[in-house]
Amino acid sequence: MLDRLGTSLKDALKKLAGKTVVDRAAVEELVKDLQRALIQADVNVKLVMQLSQAIKTRSLEEQPPKGMTVREHVLRIVYQELVNLVGSAGEVKLEPQVILMAGLQGSGKTTTTAKLARYFQRKGMRVGVICADTFRPGAFEQLHTLCSRIHVSCFGDPKEKDALRIVREGLPAMSGNEVVIIDTQGRHALEAELIQEIIDIQKIASAKHRWLVIDAALGQQAADQARRFHEAITIDGVIITKMDGTAKGGGALSAVAETKAGIVFIGSGETSDDLERFEPDGFISRLLGMGDLKALVERAEETMAGQEVDVNAMLRGKFSLRDMYQQLEAVNRMGPLKQIMSMLPLGNMEIPQDAYDVTSTKMQRYRIIMDSMTSTELDDPSVMGSSRIHRIAIGAGASPEEVRELLRYYKMMKKALKGVRGGQGKFNMQRMMKKFGGM
Amino acid sequence: MFEGLRARLQKIQGTLEENIAKTASPADTAPQDPAVSGTGPEERDPSLLSRVRVLITDREFFISEKDVEEPLFELEMILLENDVALPVTEEIIQRVRADLTGRRRKIGESVEGIVVSALRGAILGVLGQGFDLLTYVRDHEKPVKILFTGVNGTGKTTTVAKVASYLKKNGCTVVIGAGDTFRAGALEQIDVHAGRLGIKVIQHQAGADPSAVLFDTVQYAEAHRIDAVLADTAGRFHNRANLMNQLEKIRRVMKPDLIVYVDEAVAGNDAVVRAHEFEKTVGADAVVLTKADMDQKGGAAISIAHTIGKPVMFLGVGQGYDDIIPFAPTRVVDELLGVSA
Repeated sequence: MLDRLGTSLKDALKKLAGKTVVDRAAVEELVKDLQRALIQADVNVKLVMQLSQAIKTRSLEEQPPKGMTVREHVLRIVYQELVNLVGSAGEVKLEPQVILMAGLQGSGKTTTTAKLARYFQRKGMRVGVICADTFRPGAFEQLHTLCSRIHVSCFGDPKEKDALRIVREGLPAMSGNEVVIIDTQGRHALEAELIQEIIDIQKIASAKHRWLVIDAALGQQAADQARRFHEAITIDGVIITKMDGTAKGGGALSAVAETKAGIVFIGSGETSDDLERFEPDGFISRLLGMGDLKALVERAEETMAGQEVDVNAMLRGKFSLRDMYQQLEAVNRMGPLKQIMSMLPLGNMEIPQDAYDVTSTKMQRYRIIMDSMTSTELDDPSVMGSSRIHRIAIGAGASPEEVRELLRYYKMMKKALKGVRGGQGKFNMQRMMKKFGGM
Repeated sequence: MFEGLRARLQKIQGTLEENIAKTASPADTAPQDPAVSGTGPEERDPSLLSRVRVLITDREFFISEKDVEEPLFELEMILLENDVALPVTEEIIQRVRADLTGRRRKIGESVEGIVVSALRGAILGVLGQGFDLLTYVRDHEKPVKILFTGVNGTGKTTTVAKVASYLKKNGCTVVIGAGDTFRAGALEQIDVHAGRLGIKVIQHQAGADPSAVLFDTVQYAEAHRIDAVLADTAGRFHNRANLMNQLEKIRRVMKPDLIVYVDEAVAGNDAVVRAHEFEKTVGADAVVLTKADMDQKGGAAISIAHTIGKPVMFLGVGQGYDDIIPFAPTRVVDELLGVSA
């Protein structure tokens, strides 16, 4: 997720770190690399130009504060300007509210509606959903199925063609709920009739929040589209979807710049739980190749009792089979390993691609094998000899080869995690700069 | 679509012409010079000598790299702003530059002609050929099996319905295989589309193996002598190994004649990444670009067509069944550059 943008930015910053003196040429080179990286990430060309101009003038004109090297000074400016570009997170209050979803066709409004319902439900709110998509065949069935999976009530009528009427009838029907989410049909800026329709829906619903759903892959179009939606119903929050692909979500930044609304959520998967609150600091950190511990912790607290994965032990390089077992157990609830790893502050370390290629069925097998191990074996895998492997294989109904494969996987994970020191806790500017400086 | 890009391209054409014409004016006065300046300047600057010689003997002059540098940078920005991916933009610029610089121009020759042909050549070069589905279906052994792939939310199911309607209108018989057994509501969606179009859908229950569904669809088509099988699939991201393996299995089981990759025209740089991944794992014979009506620019169309190196078959331009147009590269380029075809 966003790793490509991270890599290109890191390359750009690395170049600067190699310089002994930060002169005009070095800054210009950095800015040029930044421009390329951001444009590749679909950030609006005009925004990129503004950003690079600001970085250039500030780096060359501002005096670096005492005790800070010129290089650190430039990095700090780059970071601050990036934070500016990303904007702050949109507010989400746990209070009775009506939310209106808007967005282009196929951006993921319906899926996100279900995810949002799940989010508020997990926070202990009563949620109801209204399906105002009267156009796309199967839209009601889709939302209805998703809602019944998470036990949320869903109002709609696949036979009714008038979206306004559904909203008018749906609001009183859903009045018993604290949070009501209205899913709408996909529409784009050039469809005047549909834009009028959403204006009318907003008139009826007078929704407290109007959130724009943006596909992470959306390109330079994002700015125009967002502007039109903003003119129509004043967008006050942006949700980026499909962040589990390779798209970098730069288009959403254009939408943020257009609407002056913050990003509220990020969607990154196909199940109803794959929704994260947006953290600007974390977003930037990930961009720069720094892990975002905060998002992981927040998520871990919610999905499990809190102590299952001992992040700190892992970071100290102490990683036993037991830790791995807990990790695998948590995987189902927390999403794929790569997603978890991307949230750990692993700095600039590269994790071998093979480590991620373990499929979920394999994970299942690994857990069964580990169930057949003794405590000693789990805590100290080095005692494992061929007779122990044989015993475990028989106990788990697996072949000794599978047990060995598991041990190989464990070694790979351990190796990857080892050497990850420092960078604990929150984003630490000073430490990050040292890291860059050391490159 | 394409209107934005068209306006900007026509403007840049103007700038290029201006710059080239500018180099022409000082050169025009050059013929009187050689006699006056003698050998001095010619020894210092041999390129001037050759330039002058060419001018005198052939009545031609060179277009230098410097003349086109600035407008080319502007062209690059325009292409980027119009969602043409970075590598593709660079290639177009490269082609135009190679085509224009060092080129001799006859004094009488029109500047416009040179510029337009350079731009046209470059864009046509990256756009590739179109793809005529009707001819393919007519000439191919029946049933023609067409598999639709792509990431989530690009409009595969809608496209399947549109293509079905297009083929039916043109006198082919069609059956649809409901291979999206994963997404909630997908079966209902394709059912309604098919019902409206009066086309048979083969489907199993939700969660079934898509390969089995599509295999049955092919069997049905063979038994009923149907011309074309359109196989819908669930959207999947190219970085999901399991889902890509599933697609691979579908391909093995139903043996499609044509694999059509569906993506949206509004996608940014990622379009290139995923197109490449799909092409690598399951292959693609043709491309359908959807949501082209959202975008007046249409740059992604150029990028994707170029990256896959496969012809664009259709453009999706709206929500109705008829909102699909066969893609003809020469027509698009001529329209972009304002050449009356």
